[in-house]
Amino acid sequence: MTDAPLQLSIRDLTVTVEEKTGARTLLDRVSLDLAKGEVLGLVGESGSGKSLFCRALVGLLPSQSLRLAQGTVLLDGEDIAKASPEALQAIRGARIGMIFQNPTSHLDPVMRIGDQIVEGVAFHQGLNRMEAKAAALEIMRQVGFTDPPRQFGNYAHEFSGGMRQRAMIAIALACNPEILIADEPTTALDVTIQAQILDLLLDLRKTRGLSIILITHDLGVVAQTCDRIAVMRHGRLIEIGEKRTILKNPREDYTRTLIASHPSMPAETAPAAALTQEPSTIKLRPLVEIDDLHVRFPVGGGLLSRRKTFSAVGGVSLQILPGETVGIVGESGSGKSTLARAMLGLTPLSDGHVTFDGHSLSLKRAETLKALRSQAAMVFQDPYNSLNPRLTIGETLSEVLRVQKKVPDAAIPARVEALLDLVELDRSFAGRKPRSLSGGQCQRAGIARALAVEPRLIVADECIAALDVTIQAQIVALLRKLVSTMDLTLVFIAHDLAVVRALCQRVVVMHHGRIVEEGPSETVFANPREAYTAALIAAIPDFDPDRPLSGRSLPLPPLKGQPA
Amino acid sequence: MKPRPATLVTGLTILGLFVLIALLAPVIAPYDPIFQDAAARLQPPSFVHLFGTDNFGRDILSRVLHGARIDLQIALIGVAFPFVIGTVIGALAGFFGGLVDAILMRLIDIILAFPFLVLMLSIIAILGPGLTSFYIAMALVGWVSYARLIRAQILVLKNSDYAMAAVSLGFSRMRILFRHLLPNAVAGSLVFSMSDAVLVLLSGAAISYLGLGVQPPLAEWGVMVAEGQSFVTQAWWITLFPGLSIVVLAFGFSMVGDALGELMGVNE
Repeated sequence: MTDAPLQLSIRDLTVTVEEKTGARTLLDRVSLDLAKGEVLGLVGESGSGKSLFCRALVGLLPSQSLRLAQGTVLLDGEDIAKASPEALQAIRGARIGMIFQNPTSHLDPVMRIGDQIVEGVAFHQGLNRMEAKAAALEIMRQVGFTDPPRQFGNYAHEFSGGMRQRAMIAIALACNPEILIADEPTTALDVTIQAQILDLLLDLRKTRGLSIILITHDLGVVAQTCDRIAVMRHGRLIEIGEKRTILKNPREDYTRTLIASHPSMPAETAPAAALTQEPSTIKLRPLVEIDDLHVRFPVGGGLLSRRKTFSAVGGVSLQILPGETVGIVGESGSGKSTLARAMLGLTPLSDGHVTFDGHSLSLKRAETLKALRSQAAMVFQDPYNSLNPRLTIGETLSEVLRVQKKVPDAAIPARVEALLDLVELDRSFAGRKPRSLSGGQCQRAGIARALAVEPRLIVADECIAALDVTIQAQIVALLRKLVSTMDLTLVFIAHDLAVVRALCQRVVVMHHGRIVEEGPSETVFANPREAYTAALIAAIPDFDPDRPLSGRSLPLPPLKGQPA
Repeated sequence: MKPRPATLVTGLTILGLFVLIALLAPVIAPYDPIFQDAAARLQPPSFVHLFGTDNFGRDILSRVLHGARIDLQIALIGVAFPFVIGTVIGALAGFFGGLVDAILMRLIDIILAFPFLVLMLSIIAILGPGLTSFYIAMALVGWVSYARLIRAQILVLKNSDYAMAAVSLGFSRMRILFRHLLPNAVAGSLVFSMSDAVLVLLSGAAISYLGLGVQPPLAEWGVMVAEGQSFVTQAWWITLFPGLSIVVLAFGFSMVGDALGELMGVNE
């Protein structure tokens, strides 16, 4: 692809922000080329400037105080960096299309999907209504809508996340662009859906000759889809090159760190196996015992219609032994978070039993809750939302210690410092509020809060999903250290199978509120019994570019969320 | 959004100035506010009477200065009681939900179904005219806005992860509500209370104007406007200066409210 004619050539693109203390450089002389029909992966952690770069290309700087200080953007030889706003508007959409991470907020909620596509077709291709509608239907078919004439009239909220992302792509394609900029298009999606969307993008590249800039933080996605990789950090392009070269022989230390943090790497050295202690041979009373658990939520219903219920967990039985590390995986909506909450008595049980350390939650509720509150703790997905924004980290921790009464009041300040040491945060963090912390630091504080309980059981609900890969690796390492040194039982809920494989001894696969498969991680990942598990595993973008993304060749569950 | 200190400074300066005037009124007022000088009736503003005199020959400037004491008191008490009552009721309704919530919310609907002034007037009419009746009526009617604001906030916050975390850490319900949820919920109400102070001030003036609040000869801006209305064509100064005072004080409150809103990120 690299010998194809250049489509986009960017030289020394610099963006600065005006601040009281003077101008600060956000993008520092970024130069790169994009050939026709090429897929370029742009990777880097959040704040590295990768999204800003793509916005700057099309003149969509997100704030008035940002300024394109210097640089040229040659689109087929014509400099668009200094083009007028009107000229840029004609280029946006028509020649450079964009899709974003969160399709929900980029689709018009009160406009039919079909009409949103027609709008683009009619505006940019100058067709009349009937022709535009025909063109829109054709585009919908291309991006994988199964029944375009019917789905044409649906609204965004009637689709699942994956279908919404397809709709976004359809809208971008409606203007028939030559270049597509995809900003984290699959980050919010489940692995199986992610595989389908990536396949779709590659298909479109082939059939339409699109050039694609794919922004992502997941090197696995890049390895599977891109021709070349560009690595950004602190607003600089630090490395660019052919995919295989970069993955095999990274030049920069930072790229090496990124590659090392990719969760599929530690799995090959199989550290989780070292922890395995054959739990089945040791006669132990399970710490948590779940027996035929059902959790149902009321949905809809009004004065006249009967109340309907939605079954989030339907008949789950599971035993967790003391000291075990259990991973629960599944797509969003599979009921794994509900199961975790039910396990901790945070959501009412509709049917069945949850027993914690011999106490039954349905029989002796008060007693069991007391045991749970003093011996179990939870770590949440969003580190910022799970800490009270008004309290400093020190106040948060000492409040837990005061309420739990396991440490005498006089010893609380020392204990707070010990907790911060434990999660490898500097002691000065005790005086800081969550807002002034980074995501990773905040999540460490969240883990410290859980440890303040001196728990036997920690339930971590997607606790790394909101973090950058390098930070994810650090948090996983921290959890691994804590589990091995502190006699903890860990229930680790994640949709990222690679992380679970690296961390957990046992894995439980959930689908539609049921457990479809469980067993030792090694066995399940090596020889999945169920087709669903196999599909989940196959959809993980593997780090090895020569092992293709096999999302399509396996029996995937039917596309969810198509309105019935 | 960045805080705009200019708004805050202007607003606080205005409020501070009025507080100072209220405190120092007896010292700085040139005349006794209720002393009637039959020889100097309906005098236009002059160096002897800077704001002129009314139909009883009382000095308008002195009455405006003394009026600040009563009007500030109206704004303060008229906001404080509804604020506290509404916050507690709204927090309980939002947090506990169910039957408590349903009953309280219907009660609010009923209160809101009546026009504000009509309801105020009926309560004051039952209790008898006077400032105390006005405060009681304000407390009975004004809490609904605060209750609704806080309830909505609590409903959102009680599903937040940190509320869930607090439950999972064994915190008591009262601790969760009053230490964790309420401090995070109250910012919006605090901002609203500033614009509410303007409203209370104006309804206090309106009630006094109708003769149901502050009783003559006590100096209150609303009463003064009412008394001056029959002389508007001959002696505009009787109504202009107290009216202007209400407007400026209200402006000060609303400036502070705006600035607080931005500082606390309520609008984000």
